[in-house]
Amino acid sequence: MSDGESHPILRRAEATPGLLPALRQLLRERREATVAAMLVLVFVLLSFGSPFFLTERNLFNVARQLSVVAIVALGQALVIIAGGIDLSVGSVIGLSAVAAAMAANATNSPAVGIVAALAVGGLTGVVNGTLITRARINPFITTLGTLSVVRGAALLVTNGSPQRFDNWAAFLGGGRIANVPVQFILLVLLAALIWIFAVRTRWGRDVYAVGDNARAARLAGLDVKFTRTMVFTISGLLAGLGGLLLAGMLSNANPNLGLGYELDVIAAVILGGVALTGGRGSIGGVVIGAALMGLLRNAFVLLNVSGYWQTITIGLVVIVAVGADSFNRKAEED
Amino acid sequence: MSQAPSGAPSYGAPVLSVHDVRKGFDGAPVLHGIDLDVPAGQILALVGENGAGKSTLLNIVSGALQADGGVIALDGIVRHWAGPRDALQAGIALVHQELSIIRSLSVAENVLLGDYCAGPRGFVDRPAMRARARALLDEVGAHHVRPETRADRLSTADQQLVEIAKALTRDLRVLIMDEPTSSLTPHEAEALFVVMRRLAARGVCVLFISHRFDEVFRVADRIVVLRDGRLVGDRPAAGTTRDAAIADMTGRAFSFSRRVARPARREESVLSVRNLCDRHWLGPVDFDLRAGEILGVFGLVGAGRSELLELLGGLRQPGGGAVRLFDGGGLPATPAHAWARGVAILPEDRKAAGIAPNLSVHENMLLSWRRTAPGWINPARERGVVAPLMRRLAVRARGPAQLVRTLSGGNQQKAILGRCLAAAPRLLLLDEPTRGVDIGTKAEIYDHIAALANEGMAVIFASSELPEVLALATTVMVLARGQQRLCAPNEGLDEASVLSAAFSFEANGA
Repeated sequence: MSDGESHPILRRAEATPGLLPALRQLLRERREATVAAMLVLVFVLLSFGSPFFLTERNLFNVARQLSVVAIVALGQALVIIAGGIDLSVGSVIGLSAVAAAMAANATNSPAVGIVAALAVGGLTGVVNGTLITRARINPFITTLGTLSVVRGAALLVTNGSPQRFDNWAAFLGGGRIANVPVQFILLVLLAALIWIFAVRTRWGRDVYAVGDNARAARLAGLDVKFTRTMVFTISGLLAGLGGLLLAGMLSNANPNLGLGYELDVIAAVILGGVALTGGRGSIGGVVIGAALMGLLRNAFVLLNVSGYWQTITIGLVVIVAVGADSFNRKAEED
Repeated sequence: MSQAPSGAPSYGAPVLSVHDVRKGFDGAPVLHGIDLDVPAGQILALVGENGAGKSTLLNIVSGALQADGGVIALDGIVRHWAGPRDALQAGIALVHQELSIIRSLSVAENVLLGDYCAGPRGFVDRPAMRARARALLDEVGAHHVRPETRADRLSTADQQLVEIAKALTRDLRVLIMDEPTSSLTPHEAEALFVVMRRLAARGVCVLFISHRFDEVFRVADRIVVLRDGRLVGDRPAAGTTRDAAIADMTGRAFSFSRRVARPARREESVLSVRNLCDRHWLGPVDFDLRAGEILGVFGLVGAGRSELLELLGGLRQPGGGAVRLFDGGGLPATPAHAWARGVAILPEDRKAAGIAPNLSVHENMLLSWRRTAPGWINPARERGVVAPLMRRLAVRARGPAQLVRTLSGGNQQKAILGRCLAAAPRLLLLDEPTRGVDIGTKAEIYDHIAALANEGMAVIFASSELPEVLALATTVMVLARGQQRLCAPNEGLDEASVLSAAFSFEANGA
């Protein structure tokens, strides 16, 4: 009669408290665990493999190089957890970089440049979200469209030529505080902020519910359209910041800045254990995923291996990490 | 034990024999030993209430499900199907309620699926395909369907004919149809009956499930009634009356007959509905609901039960009528408004619209409660909401952190009921609250609903299970094809009168 009797699995679980839940917990977070292990492994191997690796200079360089991808990946993670995808981030980096430079140069006020970069990013996000929720165009198609439109706009306004960006706002991208790159400090702060947002606020939890089952979320009274628009806006804002940081780092805003970045960003998110089907993933995992990609890049430079191998390896790592996860999940469900 | 079928008639040598077939799901028996012989050329209608085991039986015969015991024989030879493919090879075809046509392929490709008249080099011979498909379509009377047409351009009725034509590519012995006319117009249904008779004349056994007695009597040779997994009636269609068949269907010994305590009725009106219609075919519907009342909405498949609840929950646009909710306002415009105003919704399709499977019990239960909580999450406060609810509803989980998809169906349903209760609604809308729930948990859910009503909540629940409606409701509403046929206090109603109302569209010649 009672449910406990008719479900032996449940009973077994109750009989051995702690063990099975712990095992399941591990299985569920296996992809992050796998990637974290890979990160440690690459770190240790590099420590032995190259005398330059463990120098402060090199480590901070790695930190600086991975920061923009990781910052943009934070927003992308929210989009993917909500069941969407944002292909436009690379183009937003380009347009916001030139917008920052042109606005700062025209007004002689770097602050206006910062606002312009964030406004371009946020606005693109709002447009993406609106097209997806109101016009009901699928996120892939919508952001594929804005990817092209936004890149075209960047080329159009600059007539294809790079813009000077060497005011104090460039400090955000190129500066250091006590030798630590400002970009990296921003990444740490933003990761903490987004993490708290995701686990400790209603809006963050709604992102997970919408991504896991949008219909159920709507029937439970959630504003699904708002949640979706919100995550695309956050993604756009962070991509706008990414453009600002890259321009600052290079003292120069090229309209082709961020070309192809969307793939690195999405790879970092997936590597970090976020499910493309939505509803699952953690912000910590995304940072680990981005860190692993940064470390691999560094490894190829230090070990003097052709950059082409780098591209191949990163692709393989994504496939292996995601493959291992779906293999585990299948084993769990059987 | 097993009641003797009333006057089981004898027919010729059986083509299909079912002997002592038993089946259970999750330990709950669904079929208790069914015996049935079907001779060549017979059209057999299988009738019974929802959950009687009709679909289960036909799924076993067609290889989609494996029986726990018993045998199936074709032409006197005992056969085992590993899957529907085996059964199809042997000549048993099932046409599902939801058609399994491939919409982007042509009619010919659908009819000859997997057998494209390929030549020796493996190239598809299109003219040969078209010719063969044409011949098969003609056999089922689909003269107007062209083999080149894309399948998704066809009407439902024509798609169904394509599926039957597909079955004819093999040497068809037994054709099984699960509610074949549920989405057909009367005219299309009539055409289908012609095809059924033609196949029967060729010696094919035709078995079909139907809830519509008019068509059962028009087309079937024999009517077999299932109730609670037992074969309780077996009559030739000629000489049988509708009332006799309904008596077979309902003659059950109640497992939960009106045992639920009647909640004390209160005076505050919670909902008043006048002439409510949707924009298609539902309505007009009229009723009043007070605090502490439980309105049970009963109807057959496609009667409009879910649609009515969707209207009240803001999921469907109204087409007319007046509604006054307890707060003085009209219908909620969206589910979000419904929850915000104190109307909680438990959807029918738990998997597609109820649970967030990869989230925890905790998260699932708080989904709606969080609408009115501060945006900043206070874990201690949340635990204080979830823990008492899990205790009250006796949710069997390792803890609030367990993922909902790893719970049993009954416990998933309790988690969603918990989501409703956490929001402390004044009106609770439950669509099939016990679907896919084991019998023990069903009883628990009934107790919870009754207790909630006793505490002053108003409840509307839709159900296709009549005993459940009669056991739980204070007021019973019957819908039939979107029309309100009955809305009366439960006292004084019996199964036969409610079923009669549910079938009453036939009397109006619909």
